[in-house]
Amino acid sequence: MKNCDQFREMFEGYALGALDAGERAALDAHLAAGCKDCAKAVEEARWLVSQLAYLAPESTPSDMLKGRLMQTVRAEALAAQSAKKFKPMVPAWLWAGVAALLLFSLYSAWNMQRLVREVQSANERAAALIRERLDLEAQRAAAEREATILIDPASVKIPLTSSDPLTPKLEATWHAKLGIVLTGQKVPAPSRNRVLQLWLIPKAPGGKPIPSLTVRPDADGKFTLLVANPPDLMEGTAALAITEEPPGGSPQPTTTPRWVGGLT
Amino acid sequence: MFLAALLPSANTAVSPDATLVRRLLQQDVSAFEQLYDRHSRAVYGLILRILQQAGTAEAVVQDVFLQLWRNAEHYDESRGPFLPWLLTLARNRALDTLRLKSERQRRREDQTEELPPVVTAPEFEKQLDEKRRAEKVRALIGALQPQQKRAIELAYFEGLSHSEIAEKMREPLGTVKSWIRNGLLRLKEELQATA
Repeated sequence: MKNCDQFREMFEGYALGALDAGERAALDAHLAAGCKDCAKAVEEARWLVSQLAYLAPESTPSDMLKGRLMQTVRAEALAAQSAKKFKPMVPAWLWAGVAALLLFSLYSAWNMQRLVREVQSANERAAALIRERLDLEAQRAAAEREATILIDPASVKIPLTSSDPLTPKLEATWHAKLGIVLTGQKVPAPSRNRVLQLWLIPKAPGGKPIPSLTVRPDADGKFTLLVANPPDLMEGTAALAITEEPPGGSPQPTTTPRWVGGLT
Repeated sequence: MFLAALLPSANTAVSPDATLVRRLLQQDVSAFEQLYDRHSRAVYGLILRILQQAGTAEAVVQDVFLQLWRNAEHYDESRGPFLPWLLTLARNRALDTLRLKSERQRRREDQTEELPPVVTAPEFEKQLDEKRRAEKVRALIGALQPQQKRAIELAYFEGLSHSEIAEKMREPLGTVKSWIRNGLLRLKEELQATA
């Protein structure tokens, strides 16, 4: 090769590691380019350099060094043998397969539980929305019914008065087909744990009061009570009365009526 | 020509070292112990010559033999004898250690492989046993001019570059290069002539 001449005197220095950086880089590049003659010459120089090791006088290292080395080597050999014996019994790929299967099963179970929980949660949310919607529809229907009862010319207005002149009047509006709406403003609160109960007083002599719904005024003494399905007794009812009763109402009055209003 | 001597070995007999190295591949502790017993004196002598400190030298010897135990497959018996390869590994390790304390570290950083290549031995080399070869090398280098011998030793045992040797010996760079090159070429010729 043409360029070989410039490297001919560098082989020994190269093998010794004594060339300066520039010279070494140039020869490295030349060798990397594939010059077989120079590669052989470098190998020969390396062999020559390796012979220089004989210039160092032999010397005996301590017995402790051999002891440490043998201890390390025996331990590594034992570990390698153990690994070799263990290997055929349970191949690594089998462990990997089992581990992957186990992980997949755990993930599937966890994912299934998560999906079940999500479906349950979604069902609960849907049921709550349906309940809310039904409540709103019922409130809307009740409000419509109340409004109709209050404005329909066919309804009968029944004022209910108290024996106490300071107690505000109540007013009932009775529609023969839609029911009764009873309203009150600034009504004194009933006794503790008591509610107001509506009664239908029959015209028939000796007839017992017919129990209706109960209500408790709010903090301002305001209330509206809708009796959507009163007994079809408008013709047979002489009056309406309000008493104080225990929560849930009573089958027959337990106190003297606080308000009474007669049907004309 | 000397290169003409670089022929494949006609001698198919396997050396004791090569047999022991093969057994190392099977994790044979006994083979390792035999290799250590055969060569630890030469390895330790070389490393001690470079490092000049027994404790550090033993640590490097331990590192060299553990490298051998763990990477025995890097030795290719078809390319050359075992001991020069092992001693090259030992020199590289010792110079690496020396470089840790030296400004020469960066210069030589990429020069020393983790494990050295096995160099093909010339045919005549195989006709000399270890003992005779060692004696011959010592005699030949010992017969060189003192300055020439000193330059070769600075390069080999201290890992100095041509420029550093010239500076240390206060001699022209070209002279130092010639001393080293001519000394090695003379060694080669003498070994060849002896064989």
